[in-house]
Amino acid sequence: MHMTGAAEQHKEEKRDITFRVFRFNPQVDIKPYFDDYTIPVERGITVLRALNYIKEHVDPTVSFRAFCQAGICGSCGMRVNGISKLACTTQVWEELDRCKEPGILKVEPLRNMPPIKDLIVDMDPLVDKMKHYMNWIDSSMPESEMGKKEFLVSEDEFLKYDKATDCILCASCVSECTILRAHKEYVSPAVLLKSYRMNVDSRDTIHDTRLAELVKDHGVWDCTHCYRCQETCVKSIPIMDAIHGIRENALEVRGTKDTSGAKHAEAFMDDIAKKGKLVEATLPFRTNGVLWTVKNLLPMAVKMIMKRRTPPPPPMVKPSKGIKAFREEFREMTEHVKDDQQSHNK
Amino acid sequence: MKPFDIVIVGGGGAGLYAAMEAMKTNPSLNIAVLSKVYPNRSHTSAAQGGANAALANKAKDDTVEMHIFDTIKGSDYLADQDAVDILCSEAPKIIRELDNIGTPWSRLDDNTIAQRPFGGAGRPRCCYCADKTGHTILQTLYEQCLKKGVFFFNEYFSLSLSVNNSRMRGLLAMNMKTGKIEAFPAKTVIFATGGYAKMYWNRSSNAAGNTGDGQAIAYRAGIPLKDMEFVQFHPTGLRKSGLLVTEGARGEGGYLVNKDGERFMARYAPEKMELGPRDLVSRSIETEILQDRGFDSPAGKYIHLDLTHLGAELIKSRLPQIREMSMNFEGVDPIEEPIPVRPTAHYSMGGIDTDNYGRTVMDGVYAAGECACVSVHGANRLGGNSLLDILVFGRIAGHTAAEEAGKFEPGVISPEEIKAKDEELRSFMQSSGHYERYGALREELGQTLALNVGIYREASKISRGMDELSLLKERFKKIRVFDSSDIFNTNLMQVLELQNMLDLAETVAAGALAREESRGSHTRNDFPTRDDEKWHKHTIATLDNGTVKLGQKPVTMGRYELQERTY
Repeated sequence: MHMTGAAEQHKEEKRDITFRVFRFNPQVDIKPYFDDYTIPVERGITVLRALNYIKEHVDPTVSFRAFCQAGICGSCGMRVNGISKLACTTQVWEELDRCKEPGILKVEPLRNMPPIKDLIVDMDPLVDKMKHYMNWIDSSMPESEMGKKEFLVSEDEFLKYDKATDCILCASCVSECTILRAHKEYVSPAVLLKSYRMNVDSRDTIHDTRLAELVKDHGVWDCTHCYRCQETCVKSIPIMDAIHGIRENALEVRGTKDTSGAKHAEAFMDDIAKKGKLVEATLPFRTNGVLWTVKNLLPMAVKMIMKRRTPPPPPMVKPSKGIKAFREEFREMTEHVKDDQQSHNK
Repeated sequence: MKPFDIVIVGGGGAGLYAAMEAMKTNPSLNIAVLSKVYPNRSHTSAAQGGANAALANKAKDDTVEMHIFDTIKGSDYLADQDAVDILCSEAPKIIRELDNIGTPWSRLDDNTIAQRPFGGAGRPRCCYCADKTGHTILQTLYEQCLKKGVFFFNEYFSLSLSVNNSRMRGLLAMNMKTGKIEAFPAKTVIFATGGYAKMYWNRSSNAAGNTGDGQAIAYRAGIPLKDMEFVQFHPTGLRKSGLLVTEGARGEGGYLVNKDGERFMARYAPEKMELGPRDLVSRSIETEILQDRGFDSPAGKYIHLDLTHLGAELIKSRLPQIREMSMNFEGVDPIEEPIPVRPTAHYSMGGIDTDNYGRTVMDGVYAAGECACVSVHGANRLGGNSLLDILVFGRIAGHTAAEEAGKFEPGVISPEEIKAKDEELRSFMQSSGHYERYGALREELGQTLALNVGIYREASKISRGMDELSLLKERFKKIRVFDSSDIFNTNLMQVLELQNMLDLAETVAAGALAREESRGSHTRNDFPTRDDEKWHKHTIATLDNGTVKLGQKPVTMGRYELQERTY
């Protein structure tokens, strides 16, 4: 049955598809709503071309951004069936399998950015963050000397930032970021990626200043490794590698006592080395200090005790099974990483 | 609003370089960049291949002089030789400066900037960053402008110059976020709005917004346009969408193949083969198709760009964007199969007439980049020279404006002028007698241009095209903006863009009809040869009582005498 269905679908070259489009014009609408547009769509048509068709032939008031229409400029970031992506590189037919209601494609604006109208959101907060985190090269070459000779840069160094410079700032990662949903001030994946790209560039001179900003509150340590940014990146950029890169670099340059983020990472390492698992009860103390923990987490701790949801006290956390073998492996691994870093620094 | 020293219209490579250079020239100046998109979206980002500069990193015997000669020959001797001199002499400096401020470049084994061969060039001198050169240059310039604290007015749609007794007072623009028309009184204005090839619509590789806004604003303000009939068709646009496959694909060794499996370029450019200049390769493909040696499909006739012999590794490392695009828009993986391509309107050699410093005939008004015509490209631009043009002349225009801003009085724009403009835009929203839809008109504009003023032209066809253009302009008077909201009215913006394209299309067609010769990108079936005696001249188009008035301007010669152009 299923096979026949798929084969039939394959043969079909044109069909009516409904686009359920998010509408909101703050000038007249009290709250957002959805409009359904049913149009004939051929195989091979992108979501953007479908939206263009709707705007030209059905409803000229539907508003969205589009510029290059070729996946290069990053203007048409939006959520299609709940996932942030570029409308111009998204095939309608490939979305059909992902529709919650058969034959109805849901099109919504990116999240985590202030809405302007329909599918258009405000990019200014992202630009402000690029400025805040100094997402530019502050060159080691004085302005008066520029243009006279090129820097010599190895292909190896170029490869370090090659992928990161693919970023077209479409903000899909910004829209998918779970930390940003909780904290609008969070640096955001795109800006971390750009910061990383600047920090590994040998022509730059403000690496330390940028890093100092990145380790502050709402910075690089706030990421919780959900990998949503990397999964949705329209250019398949390994964004999490960049985030980890900044963190490793921060530990290396600024040490493990630097910020709560660094201390948190160190506490993890300690626990894993000793017991092969986490001693969660003392993690907050070791990360943020006693005072902070008492001030900020006491009410939650009380609630947890009431509901009997507290983690076991430290003496009760017994080392994992096979801890001996694990410790040996762990030691080898850390030494390996150290070697790598040393040879890398050379 | 406090008057600006410099208002730059357009946030692509030319506009951003102008801003950066102007800030450098005089940091105390009050500079604004207006752009209808966020600057990092600008079409500069689509330039894949690279920028030419005789760095001699790859070919040690390359020289600026050779670059100059290639450019002049490529232009079919219509470029001004003093301007080309500036372009090519400044090239190594500008590429190094970009490197110095952080542009990522692909590298050679000796860690210098990588260079590759490109069409019409005697040596491999095209500096590149994989196939995202324009993108990385644009990002770098935007980053540097943010660093320098340039004032950006993003998503402002420029409407008109405010001019009183031929004295420019500033600019009117619509803030897309509010729909309000805002005045930008200014001592100087630099237009850097990119090209106008999108008037060919679906037969164009350009972004939807490459509608010649700056040229149209200048033209309506009485500033002359130059060589508008020269529109370059890029040989390899994707069959269905017109989107571009970079010349880098042929630079890396790609073949053009017809339905008989023949590398047909052997017939047209036996020496350079696929790396002949663009106009020649486009005509060759069009000829193959017209003589029925192309492939046929519901989406039109085409030929093959075959990369399969280059191997997966090279395609993945050097041409990743191309691979992604042909998979997304043609469903073809170039590692496995040839890409279906046909020529697509790609670049406008013509533009606002400027001198070598970016000045127009109007005091305080400058232009740079594809928006301008200096002219360095003449009748045909070489691949890798467009990025170079926007960088070199963007920089020069920024510098000139910064030096000269002090000469001009700050402008004052009256509230009445703003109100009149607002009423003009509102009139598009009236329902009575307004029923035409922009989508249909835009489509027809593209079709009539591709058919009548495309690669092969002749008097009868161009005249027909001009008649159709007049009809379209008549219909435009009845156009209706259905969206009446103030906030982000993209319906209104697209109508205004169409208006700009319609005005400019007339200058393209008029120039094409007048120029009774074949030169560079302009090929007349009824005048198949170059006629230096009569037509070794620039075409000048001015708006006179609502119609195009054509004039001429001599070409500046130099060391190189006119020669026949063969490859």
